[in-house]
Amino acid sequence: MTKKYETPLLDELEKGPFPSFVTEMKKAAAKNPMAADELGLLEKSFRDKVTYWKHGGIVGVRGYGGGVIGRYSQLADQFPGVAHFHTVRVNQVAGLFYTSETIKFLCDLWDKYGSGLTNFHGSTGDIILLGTVTENLEPLATILSMNGFDLGGSGSAMRTPSCCVGPARCEWSMIDTLDITYDLTQEFQDELHRPQFPYKFKIKTVGCPVDCNASIARADLSIIGTWKGPIAIDQDKVKDYAKKGMNIQEEIVNMCPGKCITWDGNSLNINNADCLHCMHCITKLAGALKPTPPFGAVILIGAKAPFVIGATLSWVIVPFMEMKPPYQELKDLIRNMWDWWNEYGKNRERIGELIIRRGMREFLEVCGLEPTPEMVREPRNDPFWFWKEEDLEKKPWEEFLK
Amino acid sequence: MEKEELKKAIYQLIEQSAGKKKYKQADVIKHFRQQGIPDADTKAAIRELIDAGDLIYTYFGGSYIELGEKRKGA
Ligand code: HEM
Ligand code: HEM
Ligand code: SF4
Ligand code: SF4
Repeated sequence: MTKKYETPLLDELEKGPFPSFVTEMKKAAAKNPMAADELGLLEKSFRDKVTYWKHGGIVGVRGYGGGVIGRYSQLADQFPGVAHFHTVRVNQVAGLFYTSETIKFLCDLWDKYGSGLTNFHGSTGDIILLGTVTENLEPLATILSMNGFDLGGSGSAMRTPSCCVGPARCEWSMIDTLDITYDLTQEFQDELHRPQFPYKFKIKTVGCPVDCNASIARADLSIIGTWKGPIAIDQDKVKDYAKKGMNIQEEIVNMCPGKCITWDGNSLNINNADCLHCMHCITKLAGALKPTPPFGAVILIGAKAPFVIGATLSWVIVPFMEMKPPYQELKDLIRNMWDWWNEYGKNRERIGELIIRRGMREFLEVCGLEPTPEMVREPRNDPFWFWKEEDLEKKPWEEFLK
Repeated sequence: MEKEELKKAIYQLIEQSAGKKKYKQADVIKHFRQQGIPDADTKAAIRELIDAGDLIYTYFGGSYIELGEKRKGA
């Protein structure tokens, strides 16, 4: 028998039009004592405005430095079911595709070894299995691995890479996000499971600049599909949009950040040299416009949530990289930046913060990258062009004074 | 340094600093680099110590290497 708690405050969250996690927790609580006590503890937390969770501790699976986040309740006497309530991160499938059989397997497994409460998927991208006890961790990891699953990343490690659905479902995908994610996950198993960095490192891959995974804001390394060819235009389809009431001038031309589109009421023209590859026109005129090859990716560095410094968006370091298996150029670049970060990074310093502290110039040198205009983040900001002593000896200005 | 010798030295470093200073993997590598041990050797030795459960990864704001439970009390 599971214990029942009165939950007047949580019940408030079942009112209103949206699905409620409280309803789902009650369903789990009906058959699982851990979920029941979690419900009771949460009600108390709401009432007292205190969370009652202790953080951290040493729990894990042999050989792994991450994947399990230790959680203990401060009120173990009152709510014994949540005395231990560890979170397990499981490496999700790239693009989040599962058969219903797989989902059932994971749910049954969690009913047996945990609280039955899950989160598909957590902010990290992983499958989140919420609430289990220390004794269950080893058997759980073994069963997961026998069924083709593995723990995800946590701590000062490469985190489980994630991506958008990409070419599996989306016509705009210009790179194989699923293959890149799978390949990087396999390549960097050590970095994923054996924390060896100053802090976390996230890689997210999206097929185009629409960026459905918000990689530009959420990943230390963002890989964003892009194109180099001209935007192909089907003029008849553009005219259809106009006929159906779209104000092409207002909605497309005036909103193009590159100011490179013209429309004379009959035909649409794009000055591709000035295009900023933002995807605005292409998504608004779906079917009428499309990017053309060569396809590749922009590589950006350094996004993170506020911590030591405020939130940052990632920063272009490679304007265009071909993305063909085995992605050697990308892997070499990643290894170079990790070596530098490991050498100079302070504890809990993200790579983007280290770049701000030691300078983009040094970072580019370490990565073997030439400064390019695409790296300039905002007008009048430093374009990282620095003269060295030996450059000046060659008197480069004489070239311009002729 | 032989691998087993290096493993012993790493274990001792962590053991002697227990309760005083926490080492991250990179700190251990830097420590032995000063004695002329290649980074890759130290990394491989740490890996074996972790797989054997002699050392474990712990988390306290960041990830550290500490003594495995099985040796701690002994
Ligand atoms: C009514 C109040 C709250 C709302 C509506 C809310 C909403 C959310 C949402 C939508 C997410 C993203 C979930 C996901 O993508 O998996 C999230 C994540 C998170 N929230 Fe809250 N939250 C609330 C209160 C809190 C409080 C009080 C705390 C901490 C004391 C908290 C800690 C977190 C953490 C740590 C995550 C990240 C979890 C993960 O990595 O999966 N939240 N919250
Ligand atoms: C002690 C006197 C002055 C100081 C300390 C000063 C300082 C500055 C600074 C810090 C900027 C921003 C530069 C940047 O980051 O882009 C600036 C911009 C500018 N200043 Fe001054 N200024 C002074 C006098 C003047 C005078 C006398 C003029 C005009 C006659 C002037 C015209 C401008 C203009 C046009 C800009 C904008 C340049 C741009 O487009 O970036 N300034 N000034
Ligand atoms: S990011 Fe682009 S390619 Fe990926 S799903 Fe979104 S629109 Fe499609
Ligand atoms: S992709 Fe963006 S910048 Fe390029 S033409 Fe379309 S709206 Fe303009």
